[in-house]
Amino acid sequence: MNKKLGFLGFGILFGFALSRSGASEYDLIVGMFIGENYTLVGVIGTAIIVGLLGMQVLKRTKGVTKKGEPLKISEKKLGPWSLFGAALFGIGWGLSGACPGTVLAQLGEGKIYGFFTFVGMIFGTYIYARLKEKRAEI
Amino acid sequence: MIEKVLQGIFVHPWPFWAGGIIIGLLVPLLYYYYNTALGVSTGYGNLVKIFLPAGHLKWVKTKFADTFSWRVYFIVGIILGGLISSLFSGNFGFTAEMGRFTAFAGWPAIINAVYFFAGGLLLGLGARIAGGCTSGHSIHGISNLHFSSIMATALFVIGGIISANLAQALIMGGAW
Repeated sequence: MNKKLGFLGFGILFGFALSRSGASEYDLIVGMFIGENYTLVGVIGTAIIVGLLGMQVLKRTKGVTKKGEPLKISEKKLGPWSLFGAALFGIGWGLSGACPGTVLAQLGEGKIYGFFTFVGMIFGTYIYARLKEKRAEI
Repeated sequence: MIEKVLQGIFVHPWPFWAGGIIIGLLVPLLYYYYNTALGVSTGYGNLVKIFLPAGHLKWVKTKFADTFSWRVYFIVGIILGGLISSLFSGNFGFTAEMGRFTAFAGWPAIINAVYFFAGGLLLGLGARIAGGCTSGHSIHGISNLHFSSIMATALFVIGGIISANLAQALIMGGAW
């Protein structure tokens, strides 16, 4: 299947699952940080376990994609900058009650403040592009 | 029987494991079909190129040469997924409610908008410096047992616990 159309389809599945699980609810995201509701810990935890098992099956039984290419799995960088960025991200996550995926589901559901989070994310990414112009190591 | 199943899928909220299984399966499926890592936040670079005058910036020019790459289709898909979910469950509607925030903060709408914009700013900037977000690091990275993703996720959670509790205490009057 065409990669772009494939990702449109997988995106619909992803957004549908996020929305049906309550991951697009401000109260559930904030609830897991203030210890009031751990539904999303269950969702993310299950996703990680299923992802881990699925990747083990894929790596052990075949180790190749549908086209027969070897899997290209690259680990993301680790350093003081990436940890600093992760902390900034976490602060934004707890304030907005959304993350880059769930805010898109919020948009689809018609949540108006989700739109402002979304626009903020585009500008945050723009700030990164400007910083990167000056400091390549970020 | 069929009606019950359809209601379970489209109307009633899902049990946590149902969403977890589907989201988790995306990781091996995207490798199997497209040899591509699950991730959402990098696609906001495509959106920067589409919506802001940033085409001259090196990072935008080189990394997003294909302006409308699969990442844009993935983003549009997630929006449509949220739309379809809310239409079927009857929760769709343009609403200025945001759970306990709008219930307890009592701010004028414009200040609320600035608050969520600021949260989004931190998410966008933070995700790029960290090299990923909840999907790329926490779900994809930990599924592949990447140490950097485990560390990033730990800091995501620490940051979230601090800011969510501060926001509850200072803005929502300790409403929990």
